Amino acid sequence: MIWQMFITFFKIGLFSIGGGYPMLSMIYQEIVIQHRWLSHQEVTDMIAISQMTPGPIAINVATFIGYRQAGFWGAFFTTLGVILPSIILMLLIALFYVRLRSKPWFYAIMQGLRPLVIGLIVAAAWFTAKSAFVNVFGVVVFLACFVLSLKFKANPIVILLFSALAGIIAG
Amino acid sequence: MNKPKLLTLFLSFFKIGLFTIGGGYAMLPLIHREVVDKQKWMDEETFIDGIAAAQSCPGPIAVNLSVYVGFHIAGWSGIALAVLGSILPSFIIILIIALTFNNWSQVQIVQNAFNGLRPAVVALIAVPVIQIAKKSRIRWQQYWLPLVAVVLVVFFHISPVYLIIFTILFSWIRHLYETERQEGESKS
Repeated sequence: MIWQMFITFFKIGLFSIGGGYPMLSMIYQEIVIQHRWLSHQEVTDMIAISQMTPGPIAINVATFIGYRQAGFWGAFFTTLGVILPSIILMLLIALFYVRLRSKPWFYAIMQGLRPLVIGLIVAAAWFTAKSAFVNVFGVVVFLACFVLSLKFKANPIVILLFSALAGIIAG
Repeated sequence: MNKPKLLTLFLSFFKIGLFTIGGGYAMLPLIHREVVDKQKWMDEETFIDGIAAAQSCPGPIAVNLSVYVGFHIAGWSGIALAVLGSILPSFIIILIIALTFNNWSQVQIVQNAFNGLRPAVVALIAVPVIQIAKKSRIRWQQYWLPLVAVVLVVFFHISPVYLIIFTILFSWIRHLYETERQEGESKS
């Protein structure tokens, strides 16, 4: 069990390109669809929690799922799994980056991945929407937050606090 | 490197990990202030190179940058301390949350709060899509790739792993083909 979780989070770490949000589509795919360790809604709640707590989303989700499934050592190995690819690959990239970035093939691959990253974030948003757009209230809160964030550049923490408050008031 | 400096390295990254709420990119200015301005461990240019490298490497950007800075300052022990420092605060906090989760997750007021939080999370994920699409100046002919990706991942449950491998191979082969064609044209 712990070994399988370690491998899964190693894979998530290895293929998480472009930061936290594209990685979420991987997390839904592996955690919800493939292994059924958590439901759509639980992962969405987890994302909300990790947006309000310090640290990268990937680490937060890994630690949380690891603990829920297998206690402290579960959390330890999922967290280790998700950061291990970073450590290995980053060391290689750090050593060779100056040489790599002048290579046209490296540039071509990085350019090619950019549109894919956008697709992966949209997929992540879709998975979250599944558990969020359950009624009119959900859609209204989404639209309000979307405008606040895009047009008024509101701080994510402020947005989350207000939406939590809206949820409590709406009952 | 002497012991007090290694301790400072660990504490600096612990502080960075503790005070950055909202994901990796929020960490960058804080790491910059700590590493370049305050401790003067590396110059501006080396740091900027590190950010670029961290962005092109898979994994959380904050962890990638910790590896880069840690290695630059103190080799292997630098990596260990910087990475440990930056992830330890979130590890401990999430452990506490997971530990007590069952006690408060079923409380009605918490459930109501989450009813509001879920759509907010969708918005927080959706907004960067527009910002990234604008910033990366993707030609509209390229939009088929994200569209196909969404359909495959959402409706056919295809793992992003395969899409990433495919895109890397596709971009590489297209690059080889284009260089070859250009060379052919310059010869003729």
